[in-house]
Amino acid sequence: MSEKHAANRREDLRLITGRGRYSSDMNLPGQLHASFLRCDCAHAEIVAINAKPALKRPGVVAVFTGEDAMAAGYKDFPNLLTFTNRAGATLIKPERPVIAHGRVRFVGETVAMVVAESALAAQDALDAIEVTYKDLPVVVDAEAALAAGAPQLHTNVPGNLNFEWDTGDAAAVEQAFKQAAHITKLKVVSPRVVPSPMEPRAAVIGYDTATDSYDVYTNSQGIIMMRWQFAALTGVAEEKLRFHLHDVGGSFGQRSAVYPEHGALMIAAKKLGRPVKWVSSRSEGFLSDSHGRSLIMAGELAMDRDGKFLAARYNFVCDMGAYLTPTGTASHVRNPAICTTGVYKIPALYANFRVAMTNTAPIAAYRGAGRPDIAYVVERLVDQAAVDLKIDRAELRRRNFIPLNEFPYKTPTMGVYEASDFNGCLAKALKAADWDGFAVRREAARKRGKLRGIGLSTTIEGTAAGMFPKDQIAIEFDAQGRLEVFTVALSQGQGHETTFAQVVADTLGVDAHDVTLRESVQGKNIAGNHTGGSRSLVGAGSICKVAAQKLIEQARPLAAEALELEPSQVEYAKGVFSARDGTKSVGLLELAKKHAGKNPHPLNLVAEGSVGATFPNGCHVAEVEIDPETGVSEIAAYTACDDSGAVINHAIVEGQVHGGVAMGAGQVFGERVFYDPASGQLLSGSFSDYAMPRAGWVRNINISEHPVISKVNVLGAKGVGEAGCTASLSSLVTAALDAVRPLGIQHLDMPLTASRMWQVIQQAQQAKVK
Amino acid sequence: MFQFSYLKAKSLADAAALAKTNPDAKLMSGGMTLLPTLKQGLAQPSHLIDIGGLSELSGIEVKGDTLIIGAATRHYDVASSAAVKKAIPALAYLASLIGDPQVRNRGTLGGSVANNDPAADYPAAVLALNAKIITNRREIAAEDFFQGMFATALEEGEIIVKIAFPLPKHAAYEKFPHPASGYAMAGVFIAETTSGVRVAVTGAGPGVFRWSDAEAALAKGLKAGVLDKLKVAADDLNEDFHATREYRANLVQVMGKRALQKLVA
Repeated sequence: MSEKHAANRREDLRLITGRGRYSSDMNLPGQLHASFLRCDCAHAEIVAINAKPALKRPGVVAVFTGEDAMAAGYKDFPNLLTFTNRAGATLIKPERPVIAHGRVRFVGETVAMVVAESALAAQDALDAIEVTYKDLPVVVDAEAALAAGAPQLHTNVPGNLNFEWDTGDAAAVEQAFKQAAHITKLKVVSPRVVPSPMEPRAAVIGYDTATDSYDVYTNSQGIIMMRWQFAALTGVAEEKLRFHLHDVGGSFGQRSAVYPEHGALMIAAKKLGRPVKWVSSRSEGFLSDSHGRSLIMAGELAMDRDGKFLAARYNFVCDMGAYLTPTGTASHVRNPAICTTGVYKIPALYANFRVAMTNTAPIAAYRGAGRPDIAYVVERLVDQAAVDLKIDRAELRRRNFIPLNEFPYKTPTMGVYEASDFNGCLAKALKAADWDGFAVRREAARKRGKLRGIGLSTTIEGTAAGMFPKDQIAIEFDAQGRLEVFTVALSQGQGHETTFAQVVADTLGVDAHDVTLRESVQGKNIAGNHTGGSRSLVGAGSICKVAAQKLIEQARPLAAEALELEPSQVEYAKGVFSARDGTKSVGLLELAKKHAGKNPHPLNLVAEGSVGATFPNGCHVAEVEIDPETGVSEIAAYTACDDSGAVINHAIVEGQVHGGVAMGAGQVFGERVFYDPASGQLLSGSFSDYAMPRAGWVRNINISEHPVISKVNVLGAKGVGEAGCTASLSSLVTAALDAVRPLGIQHLDMPLTASRMWQVIQQAQQAKVK
Repeated sequence: MFQFSYLKAKSLADAAALAKTNPDAKLMSGGMTLLPTLKQGLAQPSHLIDIGGLSELSGIEVKGDTLIIGAATRHYDVASSAAVKKAIPALAYLASLIGDPQVRNRGTLGGSVANNDPAADYPAAVLALNAKIITNRREIAAEDFFQGMFATALEEGEIIVKIAFPLPKHAAYEKFPHPASGYAMAGVFIAETTSGVRVAVTGAGPGVFRWSDAEAALAKGLKAGVLDKLKVAADDLNEDFHATREYRANLVQVMGKRALQKLVA
């Protein structure tokens, strides 16, 4: 790769030297501080709240409760899942007052908000609020919640079932299953995780009486999406909501949605006439930040005698926690439905999704948002089928890949896949991983007392289909004539400042340092999608290229004028307009400076385009070693070969793959959310009890690229933000399963913590003895 | 966080006097356990008496056949001390496994031992090595000092000054860290001392304890494999959502076996 395309990220010096500007760094004159009282029971009626004693505490200005939330009418959150099921039913949305009213439904739900002159004063007054609860029965498991007789969370959600939706052709699947030579069945879970970005949630919200409008400083994934949600929750018009968004220290979907605390802060800011600030503690974050995943997935795969897939059937139970977040349902229902066939030709398909409420923290999008989950169940099925049929796992995949000549491939459910070379990607990955030489490594491990297994995944994910129909990019020149690019996307670590500037600079043929990216800037009247779903480069990034091309054409007449030539006599190359005869020239940036100070600058422009869905895919190969004495798993080797389409910055793509795989490793081996089934208490509520992935877990990743250029956008990019998560869950789990299969173990479920793995091994050994 | 007064003791005697005057005060050395406890509102002392910097509590020295370590000695200093590495390498190794670099550079030997967290590492070494806890009032044998989960023989206002470790012929420590906290889920310290082989277990039970079956087996000779088949009774061990007591019993056996392998290697 050229040096330019592995360039250090431009934002890193600022971010790693403490010069980032995060939400908690923001302060407004005269601000007050909020602290939230969170319930310590999982399901209860609120019989009474007495906030008066808290008002007597030093520095306390006001206390707000559910009454205030109801009076403001802040109780109906927007939801991205808007389609109906076959019967015409829509998603049932229970009310969620921004401060609980009448009833609490998960440990950590807000029951009161103290506003005080300092954050410590607000926090110290919490224990003066007297709340009387009447406990109700608790259900924390989604299947249990859907069973007859389960405790009911919301009066308008009978049976705790918000929505049931199916897709595909049940009759065709049934027919195919009847003719199948073999059927593989399994049931797996994608366990709940606490996403835990490094930066905690935070917000400062001010209210301007004169214009009846708000200023909001908070963590986000982009201005348009956030503004729309705030308006939908509060009924405040979008033009009365000004967002000031800066650096975001990780999001992974968790910062994409409006939260109850935002609404509560708006109520306080308006009532008190002073800005109100809140910064979450990590402990509060564990309880009240949206959680991710939490799906129970049953799958069946029918095949003929040669292992050719005939049909597949899925049954998903999607845990949403106690309330619906704006993104959770779409993540768990719409996104998995797009890639139900994986990378395989499966002629008949049926999938059923049930959305359930439980007494747990609400679920929202989490890196991949349903894509890793469907990929995981598909790959587990295919892997198990290979074992059942005694066919090599790679060979069974080869037999069933969608062949190159069948693209664009319309899946039996919702997807239309862009061209991809699954066979080529697999071959490259297997070679890089030395798949064929594995037996030697397994034997060497055995001599060291370790069980070593190898696993692979060949996965695909639908990305880039944004919520908003188009993406716009503005190019503007500031008072000094310097080039600025505006987008509504917002980096939470993706490195847009580097990549987007690189796209514009490469298109123009200028130095990337002459291009400055400005993200989600208040007052810029441009549209587009927030950053999420691996889409910003594909969408906003590709419009950066369109905008740069437009800039050259817009500048051409001005260049001609400056050179005293006809526009047709002016050529453009490497940032310079020249006379065709080479006698005179003017640089684009020089030209822009000549017009500096004009209002508007004559080269200012807005470019736009609509970018459809694209399909990153890849083959990952993992090797895992297990210590049978302790149950500890270790990633011994990891190879990733991804088709992310055209790559703009290889270093950033590698970083994304690395981070995605590490996050997958966290879900596979470490992260375990444990709600006590009887009490609904979150017992894994701190980093002392919740094992995040450590740097040492994923060491050397052997990364390669196998790009097939996308045709849906001018860059040819497919996106990479979620690929590491999507591919790694199944590659890691099947590697572990491969390691212990010789012991007679046929099934494993995440997380493969040491104690759980040891228990499975013990059971297998005891079964053998018997 | 609640209001409290911070007092910096000028001497050991000053610390003892301050503790006497302020019965609701807490002594603080490195603060690695106490401060998080305060932040969570689990303790609300009137005063914090900082004894971390007292010269009377510092220092590492070998006197005859005893290694003496001041109570305020930080884990990092024990782990990197040439004297400790020479005298009891297993103790230096143990200290290197505590917490993370930040904790090792703040947390102290005396603080850890006084707190007697059932999953702390040091109590295993103190008990297995038959160390003496020397306070501002008396000497306490390890055997008598540890009295179950977070409980010790220390009286109100009594301050650990130093700990005296008799030099063993051999010693080894093996630890299985909790995957999230890094505390010992099971830690086994084996020491061949002048008074016989002693095996102490931390992390697995409600407090540090001696593994008498292992001691009996090893009394017949420190040989590899002696602990391979030895079963550990699970009944009295801890159980939580992370691990069953059977798993912890298994870890004790495996860590014991591995410590022995190191010892005889």
